[in-house]
Formats: sequence, structure tokens, C-alpha cells
Amino acid sequence: MRTRSLCLIVLAAVLTVLLSQCARTPSQTVVVYVSEDQVFSEPVLKDFERETGVAVRAVFDTEEAKSTGAMNRLIAEKDNPQADVYWANEPIRAEVLKQRGISAPYVSPNAAGIPDTFKDPEGFWTGFSARARVLLARRGLKVKPESILAYTEPRWKGKAVIANPLFGTTTAQVAALFTVWGDERAKAFLDQLKKNGVKISTSNGESADLVAAGEFEFALVDSDDGASRMRQHKPVEMFYPDQRAGEVGCLIVPNAVLLIQGAPHPANARKLIDYLLSKETERKLAFADCAQIPLHAGVDTPPEVRRIETIRPIEINFAEVARKMQEIQPYLKTWTGL
Amino acid sequence: MLLIAGLLPLVVMCAKSVSIDGRVSLAHYRDLLASARPWVLMTHSLVLASLTTLCATAIGLPLGILFSKTDLPLGRVFAALFTIPLLAPPYITAVAWFDMLGKARFLGRAWLFGLPGCVLVLTSTFLPVVILLTMTYLNTVNPRLEEAGRLVAGWPRVLRQITIPLVRPGLLLAAMLVFLLTMGEFGVPTFLRYDVFAVESFTQFSAFYNFGAATAAAIPLALVTLVLLAFERRFLRERTCQLRPVSTAERPPTIALGSARGWVLVGVGFLCLILVIAPVSILVWQSLSGGAYLEAFSRAGGSLLRSLAYAALGASLLALLGFLVGYLIHAQALPFWRTLDSLTLFLFALPGTVIGIGLIALWNRPATNFIYATPAIILLGFLAQYSALTSRITVAALGQLPPSMEEAAQVLGAGWLRRTTAIVAPLAKRGLAAGWLVAYIFCLRDMGISMLVYPPGHDTFPVRIFTLMANGSSGLIAALCVLMLAVTLVPLGLLSLGWRAHAH
Repeated sequence: MRTRSLCLIVLAAVLTVLLSQCARTPSQTVVVYVSEDQVFSEPVLKDFERETGVAVRAVFDTEEAKSTGAMNRLIAEKDNPQADVYWANEPIRAEVLKQRGISAPYVSPNAAGIPDTFKDPEGFWTGFSARARVLLARRGLKVKPESILAYTEPRWKGKAVIANPLFGTTTAQVAALFTVWGDERAKAFLDQLKKNGVKISTSNGESADLVAAGEFEFALVDSDDGASRMRQHKPVEMFYPDQRAGEVGCLIVPNAVLLIQGAPHPANARKLIDYLLSKETERKLAFADCAQIPLHAGVDTPPEVRRIETIRPIEINFAEVARKMQEIQPYLKTWTGL
Repeated sequence: MLLIAGLLPLVVMCAKSVSIDGRVSLAHYRDLLASARPWVLMTHSLVLASLTTLCATAIGLPLGILFSKTDLPLGRVFAALFTIPLLAPPYITAVAWFDMLGKARFLGRAWLFGLPGCVLVLTSTFLPVVILLTMTYLNTVNPRLEEAGRLVAGWPRVLRQITIPLVRPGLLLAAMLVFLLTMGEFGVPTFLRYDVFAVESFTQFSAFYNFGAATAAAIPLALVTLVLLAFERRFLRERTCQLRPVSTAERPPTIALGSARGWVLVGVGFLCLILVIAPVSILVWQSLSGGAYLEAFSRAGGSLLRSLAYAALGASLLALLGFLVGYLIHAQALPFWRTLDSLTLFLFALPGTVIGIGLIALWNRPATNFIYATPAIILLGFLAQYSALTSRITVAALGQLPPSMEEAAQVLGAGWLRRTTAIVAPLAKRGLAAGWLVAYIFCLRDMGISMLVYPPGHDTFPVRIFTLMANGSSGLIAALCVLMLAVTLVPLGLLSLGWRAHAH
């Protein structure tokens, strides 16, 4: 009898949890797909929940899906949209979604202070809190790698590592170089990389770890990967590449937020987008471990986060880069041997 | 239910893989065969599965014999300890080893990444499958045969020529299970960066959302599964489906270890220390860093509750489905009972990611949002993948019941439902409860299916740990892993205590 009562109590508890999960009415909810690391994005979403009373239901990308899982889920759900908002960790894939008719235009009032380079002119996506693509080098090197062309220099033969260019921000970097240099020079650069024995890692995180462990001299990684290793007191230092006149510049990769076409909760979606584009969110992401660079002027930052106006960026058009990224995908697949 | 949850998604998935823009095309398969990569991946998968099976069997068989047949002290305690890694998602063991080698710097950590690390972690994870099945099958050996052998030979020869040949079907079953579970595992190879087919299938879908390529990448795994199932059906089915333990009156003879007892105890203790206690202790130690548990609860409390609820509900549905399927198989009631049995085993052996991809292909449409956008899709995945566990346990439980009772009720005019609810189910309740518990553990530790299909805001605990691993602090990850072990072990411990009290 006692066992039966216990079973009933357990069953009741199970049903309560399930019902409480399903009982949220649409007006109280916003569904967001997130490619930014969960450990950094979730606290921001929790703050939004607390401040607005709107419950956030999120799907997070795994490291293994290389920040494309959420985007591809959105593409697969085009005729059956589940998400209201997509928080991309770079704008290239936001552009892809625009080109595929998956996002809808929305110009947030909070986007006003963000430089035009980092937002879509028609309002299909807006950038905020950026990472820079930096060179992370072993501390104490006599000659510092200060340009991405270091990858092709004989002195670094077999001593450099780069994340697989089929995934993540490395794809964006390569596509950006194709748009700036042209196909011929970019392909020659990639061939030189191979000839110079550059190691291909699975992710920027792994590249950073390999340099931190002393197995390689330098790697091109995201600034948050570099900042986190430096905060862990690993023997590494970070360089913003190609900052001299005549050099290509440093790729700035902002997060991007967009509204989904046919979003089930459009009003709450706009609220969340406004929240993510606020100065306060940028301040939080600057002080978080990801140490991201605010795009609004006048946002407080910790000393190790450089201000956007002090970095010389690569001059690119994200729409063009997005088109190029799709175009070179088969070439990259062949190049990596997949 | 099995057709809706398991077979239909696979059919839809295969249909999608031969269709491009609405036209029939074998391009995905041509691409797969044209590239050198699949052969490399298949070699990696087979090498990893073979080495893991070899190591798990080589270590598990002697341990099973030691714990079941000898006078080694604390045998049952060791068996329980060795089972711990099986109870949690295997990548937790990988995290534990990573943390442990971080502390023991003299051992280095580079070797963990790649094949050696995968073999080590998966061997320690699946070792209990071999140990437990060896122990179970040793209990079914007729003690008179061994006693007769002992009249003319010592224990080593009796074990070699009588006992081990008699438990060979159990050993082969264990080896097959370890092989299939390793082939389908993607969490550990992903964490330890060893490219295998299961990772390729997950990446093709998760990163490229390419149904066709993902299905094509899954086909070699399905073929290997089918080959092994054919082997199981040909050589093992009749001998592994029905376990009949010897009566308690006939206690199997115990092997006295004599003067070697102390050394064996030290050896087993050392192995247990290396494979289980040290990694788990390091995880616990790491998790004690300032506020890790508070952060773990605040970040993953909801997922933890959800996981418990889904696992409990999934296990209950599986117990019901498994009972019905098991009854059909046991009674051989319908002409397709063999097919049903093979289908459940096939689904169990398929990688969870493959089942997940099939479920999305089938249910991702506006008319079926009540499934696709709710936890129902996770539960359907559980039913598809784990029904073999509960049905096989049911078959074993029903095999121990005398058929005369049900036949007597049938003669008296009791219908099937009445016979089942009033006679068969109550008599088999211990087996059914064991089935529920096993299903609960597998649902709780599931990641392959949940990772792909979880609806927004409904992620499970193992999935949350996996997504938090990207840049999460080591203290937080360790605390989450310890919680995962605790939520599996605590109910198991309580239930085992309850059973003991009931038996007394």
C-alpha cells in the first residue's frame, strides 16, 4: 500500500513538472535559438526574463555543431517556424538567413548608436557586442606574428595552427579574405598555408589550447578565446593582426540578432531584440569572461577590452561575404579533404 | 507504437536521403562512396569498437568470474562500483579522465585525445556490461557439471573446459552489445576528438542539417548493426533470450583463492581505483571549488527536473510497451514475433542521432506540432531506442513463470486482459520493476536523441552539461557531472535497499 502511494506521489510530481513546462501561454513566452556560447548568453536571457516577465525558451548550439546547428534548424523549420529570434554569434549566417527569406525586417530603436557597418541596411539583422579575430601567440617569442601572412612565412613552418575553415568564425575570416583579396590571391594564401605545414584544429578553442600548451607558436582565434586563456594565466599573448597602413586589417565579428519570419510571438521577439541591442547588454558581455567589444559608444569596458574605434578593421560588406561563404564551401571542403 | 516511434521515422529518413528537390537521386550515396573519408571513418569506428570490445571482454570476464564464483571479499561491492560509469553519459567519464590527467601532470594529457583515450574511457564505461552478463550467466550454469569436472581436474581446467564454454553465449552477447554501443557512441569521440561515423552523422545533420548526407553517413552503421543482429539471431537468440537461474537449493561451488586472495583483492582494488574511484573523486574534488554547485543548480536546475520527469515517464511507457512486446515474443503469439524482436534490437543498436534525425524528418510539420514542439518527441525517441531493454527483460521474467498458471486461468474462461493483469503481471512484477529501472537509467543518461530533438526550453540535463562545456568553468562542469551521477545513483540505491528490505 505504501509502495503504491509512493508511486502515485512520484507520478503526480512527474506530471506536475511536465504540465508546468507545457502550460506557459504564448503571450508569456519568446523562443530564441542561440549560437553564442550558452555559458555567456544564458545569463543575459535570464536577466531579460527577470526584467520583463517574459519566459525565454531557448535552443543552444553545441560546440560540435560549430555554430551552424541553430541556423540550419531554422532553415529546416522554414515552413514550420518554432523560433521568434535568432541570436547568431556572427552576422554572416544572419545574412544567409536573410537571403533565404527566413528572417523578417525589424529596426530596433536601440540600434541607433551602432555603426552602419555592423547592421543590415534593411533591418534584417543588427550587430552588437563583437569579437575580434586575433593572433594568439606563445608568450616570450622573439619575433611576434603580427599579420595573418605569418602563416605563410618559412620561419613558422609547422609551428602554426588554425581552426577548420569549414566551420565557425574561421569560415567568415576566409570568406572575408576572398572578398577583399579576390579568389586567386585567397586561394594562393590557403595553398601556402598547406605548404607551410599549418595544423588544422577542430575549433578556435582547441587552437588556443594548443598554443597555451606550447605545442604551437601561434593561432588565429576569436578574442574571447584569447581573453579566457589570458585570464587563466596561460603563457600566451594576443595581437590584433594587420594594423599597419597598407595591411588588410583585423576582422571584427559582432553578434547578430534577427527576427524570424512568421515568428509565433512577434511582440515578445521585438522586446528581446531591443534588450539584446541595449548598451546594458553590451556592458554585461564586455565584463563577462567572453570579453566582447561593445559597438555602442560610451559603454563601460574592463581594461583588457579594446574600444572598437581603436582597432583597424577589414573593410567588408557582410552580405557579400555571406554570398562568398556559400560559394567557396565546396572549395573549402576539398581544401580540408572532407 | 514501435512502428510510429521507430520504424516510420527511419523509412521517412531513408526516403529523404534518395530525394533531392523532389526528384529521386542517389547523389548523397554517390558522394559518400566517392570520397575517401567514409572509409577512414569506418576504419576508425571498427578499430575503436573492436579494441573497446577486446579490452572490455578481456578485463570483464575474469572480473565477472572473480565476483561471482570466488571467495574474493567485497565482490558485490566491487561489481556495484564498476557499474558506476555505465550509469552516466560516457562523456562524463571522459571529462573525469581529462580532469584527473590535468592533476597528475606527470602522466601527460595529450595521449588522452584520440584512439587511446576513447578506448580507455569506453572500456571503463562498458566494462560493467561484460561483468554483469558474465555474473548472470554464471548463475545459470548447472553446478553438477562443475562438480563432476572438479573430480578429475583443478579449477583452471574446469573453468576453461566447462564453465566458460557454457557461458559463451552470454559472453558473445556482452561483446556484441559493447561493440554496438561503441559504434553508436558520439559523445566521447567528439570530446576526445576522434573522428568516427557516429560523429560524422551528427555533424552532417547538426552543422549542415543535411538529412540526405546524414542518412547516408548513418547507413554503414545500420549495416554493421544488421550484420551483428543476423549473427545474434543465428547463434545466440535461443540461448540468450531465456535465462533460467538454477534453484537456490543448488548453490554453485565457490572457488577458494587461497593464498592469492590478498593479491587478487589488491589487484582488483587497484583496477577499481584507477577506472572508477580516482576519476569520480577528481570530479568531486573539482566540483568543490567556490560556489560551483550553486551555479550548477541555478544554471541547470530546470533541466535536471525535466530530465527526471522525462526519464520517469519514459521508463513507465517503456515498461508498458516492453511488457506487451515481451509477452508477444515470449508467447510467440503472432507470426511476426521474430521480426518484432529483431526490430527492437535493431532500434536499440542504432545510434541515437540516427533515430533523432528520423523523428525530425517525420514530425517537423505544422500539423504535427503537438509532437514536434513538445516533449512528446523526446518520449517517442525513448520508446524507439530503448524498448529492447524492457522487452528482453520481460521475456526473461516471463520465462521463469510456470505456464500452467496462465493455462489454468484460460481453461476457466479468463480472457487475455484478465489473465495478464491478474496473473502474469503480478507474478512478473520484480522483472517488470527491474525493466523500469534499467529503462529509467538509459532515458536519464540519453543524449543522442535528446540533443537533436529537444523542443525550445525543454533541454535535458545531459544535453545542458554538453552545451555548457563550451567555455564553462571546469568547476561548474565537474559539479554538473557529479549531480548527474548522484541523480542516477540515489534512486538506484534507494530501490535496492527497498528490495532488500522486501526480500527479508
